[in-house]
Amino acid sequence: MKRLAELKQAGHKAFVAYIMAGDGGIEKLGEQIQYLQERGVTAIEVGIPFSDPVADGPTIEAAGNRALDKGITLEKVLDEMQRFDFEVKVPLVIMTYLNPVIRFGAERFTQEAKKAGASGVIIPDLPFEHRQLIEPFAKQQELVLIQLVTLTTIESRLEEILKQAEGFVYAVTVTGITGSRDELAEEVGAFTRKVRELSPVPVYAGFGISKESHVDRLRDDVDGFIVGSAIVQAFHEGRIEDIEPLIDAVTAPHSV
Amino acid sequence: MTRVKICGLMEEQHVKAASQADAIGFVFAPSKRRVSIERAQELSRLANNDMQRIGVFVNASYEEIENAVKAVPLTMVQLHGDEPDELIRRIEVPVIQAFSIRTPDDVEKLNNSIADYILVDAPGTDYRGGSGHVFDWSLLENVDLDHSRLILAGGLNRDNVQAAISQTAPFMVDVSSGVETDGRKDEVKIQQFILQAKGDSMERTQEKTIDPVGFFGRYGGQFVPETLMKAVKELEAAYEDAKNDAEFQKEYHHYLKEYVGREQPLTFAARMTEAWGGPKIYLKREDLNHTGAHKVNNAIGQALLAQRMGKRKIVAETGAGQHGVATATICALFDLDCVVFMGEEDIKRQQLNVFRMKLLGARVESVTKGSGTLKDAVNEALRYWVTNVEDTHYLIGSALGPHPFPTMVRDFQSVIGKETKRQILEKEGRLPDAIVACVGGGSNAIGMFHPFIEDASVRLIGAEAAGDGVDTERHAATLTKGSEGVLHGAMMKILQDDAGQVQEAHSISAGLDYPGIGPEHAHLADNGRVTYEAITDDEALESVIEMSRLEGIIPALESAHAIAQAKKQAQSMTADELLVICVSGRGDKDMATYAEKLEGLS
Repeated sequence: MKRLAELKQAGHKAFVAYIMAGDGGIEKLGEQIQYLQERGVTAIEVGIPFSDPVADGPTIEAAGNRALDKGITLEKVLDEMQRFDFEVKVPLVIMTYLNPVIRFGAERFTQEAKKAGASGVIIPDLPFEHRQLIEPFAKQQELVLIQLVTLTTIESRLEEILKQAEGFVYAVTVTGITGSRDELAEEVGAFTRKVRELSPVPVYAGFGISKESHVDRLRDDVDGFIVGSAIVQAFHEGRIEDIEPLIDAVTAPHSV
Repeated sequence: MTRVKICGLMEEQHVKAASQADAIGFVFAPSKRRVSIERAQELSRLANNDMQRIGVFVNASYEEIENAVKAVPLTMVQLHGDEPDELIRRIEVPVIQAFSIRTPDDVEKLNNSIADYILVDAPGTDYRGGSGHVFDWSLLENVDLDHSRLILAGGLNRDNVQAAISQTAPFMVDVSSGVETDGRKDEVKIQQFILQAKGDSMERTQEKTIDPVGFFGRYGGQFVPETLMKAVKELEAAYEDAKNDAEFQKEYHHYLKEYVGREQPLTFAARMTEAWGGPKIYLKREDLNHTGAHKVNNAIGQALLAQRMGKRKIVAETGAGQHGVATATICALFDLDCVVFMGEEDIKRQQLNVFRMKLLGARVESVTKGSGTLKDAVNEALRYWVTNVEDTHYLIGSALGPHPFPTMVRDFQSVIGKETKRQILEKEGRLPDAIVACVGGGSNAIGMFHPFIEDASVRLIGAEAAGDGVDTERHAATLTKGSEGVLHGAMMKILQDDAGQVQEAHSISAGLDYPGIGPEHAHLADNGRVTYEAITDDEALESVIEMSRLEGIIPALESAHAIAQAKKQAQSMTADELLVICVSGRGDKDMATYAEKLEGLS
């Protein structure tokens, strides 16, 4: 995770890819991670399928259901990650809803995630107020608990959340669920600028980021971008190379 | 729950590591952990707003202390010298006075302190202010001491803190050298100390949040995506305000009376009483409400609240359609936009209600995902809310969801239990011996039970849906077969597999066909105040026929579960006992199911 701060200092933008673990079979997980790190992504979020993903739009929900149909569980994903026989060169972040973690056991989850090579955890339905369910265990394993902030996060909470932020801050750029969109709302730039001013760690924009035009719009206001639905769908349809221009648009050195 | 103070902080990362503690201490007296006021200010800014900031002094002047209190600012002062009582009196913030304990005589001194809290420590060595040595905790046993003002210090560490707490039951534990490695604070030790002192993390969540964030024991909370937190917090504040506003309550009760037709009778069921040969049976007639069930009690309350918050768009989920109909009805009455999510399976089995909602001007959205029932409808309603949160109120129909919903829905439904209590006292001059209500999410039951919770003589029984039977794959018996989990914004009991995936529920009754139970019910089941039994589809159908023919009241399928359970209950009761059944709704909506299932009935 230190690498993310260094990247920011060097003036480069980060590209974080989200994948649904086990979509297409658990054996795809390692292949997808290798592919993405070869293509130069900065970090990878490994999504865990859940039966009731209320923060997700139809693309990621469908991917999750495909993974569930193949019997993918949190445990299987962590096991598979522990068996990787290639060098993982980028930070891996586990993104999961809270219930599978509670069922698995919070302490055991952080221990196994650490063994699996993860650097951090994102739990979209674990608000800042309840983070103590996970955070103490995560700390013991030196995993960072990535916080989300949104357009609707009120000022006083925003400050509290950012004060504690570690790794990077996930700035949600839509008022809504995950999924590709044509346009981003007007106020997004002002929002990410404010978050970036207050945040001690890099700020990455996510939810609804699927096009180079989105990247161009926010480039100066964030430290990086998180792309989920567009990548999940591209992997599913066997046309991941379509994403490469988007990765390049973010990571290529950019003259101002 | 014992509070935790991490003392002698000097570095940023250690203040952050202490974020789950209740207090942090800055040492202003000579010590290797001494900090300047400026440094304490900087460190203090990193701590949560609700953290106590405590300054430690040894024989400082009043001016020095007050200066530090104002500058940092400190919320408490801890004194380790020979400070006179008059100094302690002058300090405006709460004061902790420290004592070294060697002998039983030292313990006597504690009671003479005029400070708000007394801190007990082993005798110091180089500096005054604690040595890190353990003193004999047993000195504090069997002496007359107010433990609610006791702060325990001296040689505590992650390994002995639990034992220290159980032996001395202090208000707070104070640690400094016990969370250090080589004379410097250690983040991991700080975290582990807090964890050990506070027990497992779940218990801590309740303790820390029980007041502001609505927990019932270990259940409840606000487990929603960040985008919804603002709306949930706003709702929490708006409801708190409305609850205590006499005008709001007056308006709510006005509509209950003039529009819903309350109060509803508590009908003596003479023929059922005779047929069952046990206790006197009374029926609480929620079936007589406008729209046909208890759901409208809550819909009116929340719709009034939404308008008070300036929201004129309503989203709701519905299972059997009763909540959808109630919501659509109230939205027509108040001229609010209304969209209702309903599983496609439920749309099939509750067609009449779908038509009613449309007639009332609501948009009904069919949910084809998952099992196409209530759980999936809630998911879609939540997604809709996330996307339209700025101008839309989510009118949840059961005692479910993130706080304040479970409390608010219970309060709006408590009219059922309050009326019942008054009515049974009028009719019988005493409280009932048992009350039975059906539970899906649990709103009619919690509304009926809540006013009786403190009345220990009243047995409370919830009837959940066993579907084909609790030993089959097809049931909705969450309390019989479920386990702790987070779904739809709250920690509750849910039906789930080993991997934490929520399972589909099955019940002939669309209103009970839900794989979770509201957090308050989960808590009442755990503490034993309410017992929950499971009733199968077949038992419920039998009860539909029985009550229809004995009392001329055709119950809803949901309510029939309560009736079936009441019949079992009656067998172990005597003629001088009283049994109340909550008839949560009428059976009109279930006529198609009855026609199919009861074909050939003569």
